[in-house]
Amino acid sequence: MSEKIIEIKSIAKKFGLFEAVKDVSFHVNQGDVYGFLGPNGAGKSTTIRCMLSLTKPDSGTIKIFGKSIFTDRNEILSRTGSIIEKPDFYKYLSAYKNLEIFSRLSRVSVGKKEIYKMLDFVGLGGREQDKFSSFSHGMKQRLGIAQTLLHNPDLIVLDEPTTGLDPQGIIDIRNLILRLKNEQHKTVILSSHNLAEIEIICNRMVIINKGVSVVEGDVKALMNSEDLVVRLEVSDKNKSKALIMNQYPNIQITDINETSIELPMEKSKISELNKDLVNAGIGIFSIEAKRKLEDYFIKMVNA
Amino acid sequence: MIFIKSIYNEVIKIALKPRSYLGIAAITVLVGVILFALKSDGMSIISFVTSSFEQTLSFEGNVLNGNLVAFIILQMLIVQIPLLIALVTGDLVSGEAAMGTIRMLLTQPISRTSLLLSKFIAGGIYTLMVIVWLGFMSVIMGKMLFGTGDLMVLNSDGLVILQEADVNWRYLGGFLVAFLALFTVSSLSICLSCFTDNSIGPIVTTMSIILLFTIIGTLDVHVFDSVRPFLLTTHMASWRSFFEDPLPIQDIKNSILILFIHNVFLISISIYVFNKKDITA
Repeated sequence: MSEKIIEIKSIAKKFGLFEAVKDVSFHVNQGDVYGFLGPNGAGKSTTIRCMLSLTKPDSGTIKIFGKSIFTDRNEILSRTGSIIEKPDFYKYLSAYKNLEIFSRLSRVSVGKKEIYKMLDFVGLGGREQDKFSSFSHGMKQRLGIAQTLLHNPDLIVLDEPTTGLDPQGIIDIRNLILRLKNEQHKTVILSSHNLAEIEIICNRMVIINKGVSVVEGDVKALMNSEDLVVRLEVSDKNKSKALIMNQYPNIQITDINETSIELPMEKSKISELNKDLVNAGIGIFSIEAKRKLEDYFIKMVNA
Repeated sequence: MIFIKSIYNEVIKIALKPRSYLGIAAITVLVGVILFALKSDGMSIISFVTSSFEQTLSFEGNVLNGNLVAFIILQMLIVQIPLLIALVTGDLVSGEAAMGTIRMLLTQPISRTSLLLSKFIAGGIYTLMVIVWLGFMSVIMGKMLFGTGDLMVLNSDGLVILQEADVNWRYLGGFLVAFLALFTVSSLSICLSCFTDNSIGPIVTTMSIILLFTIIGTLDVHVFDSVRPFLLTTHMASWRSFFEDPLPIQDIKNSILILFIHNVFLISISIYVFNKKDITA
């Protein structure tokens, strides 16, 4: 069994009367690329801020590398690299100078050569002396990643690193994260409100909504492509419902509108259902299948 | 070691921020204007002061010398310097919050207390630089342009004449006390900076407090008598005590103690607030 790098138990945080985080628990194993998924305002950033001691939770425990963030903060942060929301640097300083400033605060010696190498690694080679204020959003993100990796951390926390990037920028960041996992065996936490992104990159994930962690587990298991939610648009809704109830007595059918219903169903049974409805003389205008978790997440985001 | 590096970082940040040079530039221009005015028509200004003593005293030698010029400059500018200090130091914490860099800094393996103390020290170094520049522009440039001589100072007790050889150490002492007073302004603005995420607020608030305290200190109203000895602004003028004869040592010690207590108090509050602060910016 892999070593637990992060253990978060029942953390809660209020800002005035607003409960940003109510009850979040999860754990991250060594080598995981761990997805931290939730709609905007779910409490992802607050949880990450608590993990990195930027805010203190009102209750709960946070252990990273087996140590409490409240008592061993500096030791934990010396092994952690992070970007929270967006990388903000000193606008009046160059990319090189910015990295030099932050590298001085790390516990490992980082020289000029390493800074240049890192800037090259993230695709900012040749722009070392350009001021941060002249950088595009994508370049700022890359500089943020360079700062995150500069002291060779064991744990990397990336809060929405692809927000605002163009498609090529998103692909580059994804590839970079996969390289960190595969080549350098880093543990990465990736916060995102994009389920597809988490599915592509992560091996484990937690879904957080309204300040509560609702689902946690293996991405492949959670995103089981056999377990679907099917939406049918039919010519006779009531007749369709009766037929389905007859075939699958325990199924839960949801009315969507005058002509549409929704029901959970395994992938292999959809064609059979289609055939039964057609044989019963019911016209089918459309069949739309979504994975159960995807459907759940979309409903959560739209709520 | 990280603490030393953090102080170095803070000094570098101040040194590379264009705003930091506003203070130096302002002193250069202001002192330049005063030097030009005194060089052009300084004697008429001096005559205005000495005319009231002419029936009992006769003045000989170079009255308008570098020592007097430096004294006049200090007296005129010491009120403006806090603004120049607050302009830079009031931004040291809140400016980081406004830029978002505070998030990046506080996810580094340095304690919040160390980070904040390094900002206080860097603010102190900047204040020292401003004072040194003011000293250079007033004392050194003054002596270069006007020569040297005895210093004639008019204070509330009358006219004090200090021998030329007796002046330099008084300037040194005066600048040291002025530094302590301005460092207190720096501490006040950094302390206010810990309460907010906007970069202008602490600068304006620092100046408002200094203005308010100056008004309280100037108003000859009994109700403020018990407060006045403890106001920062009362002791900002303590540098002048070095130009009295005999030297009011007890008053100077008292000012140093009160300014020191102000600093300890402001730094302690800042550390408490900064350590409790939720970084949401």
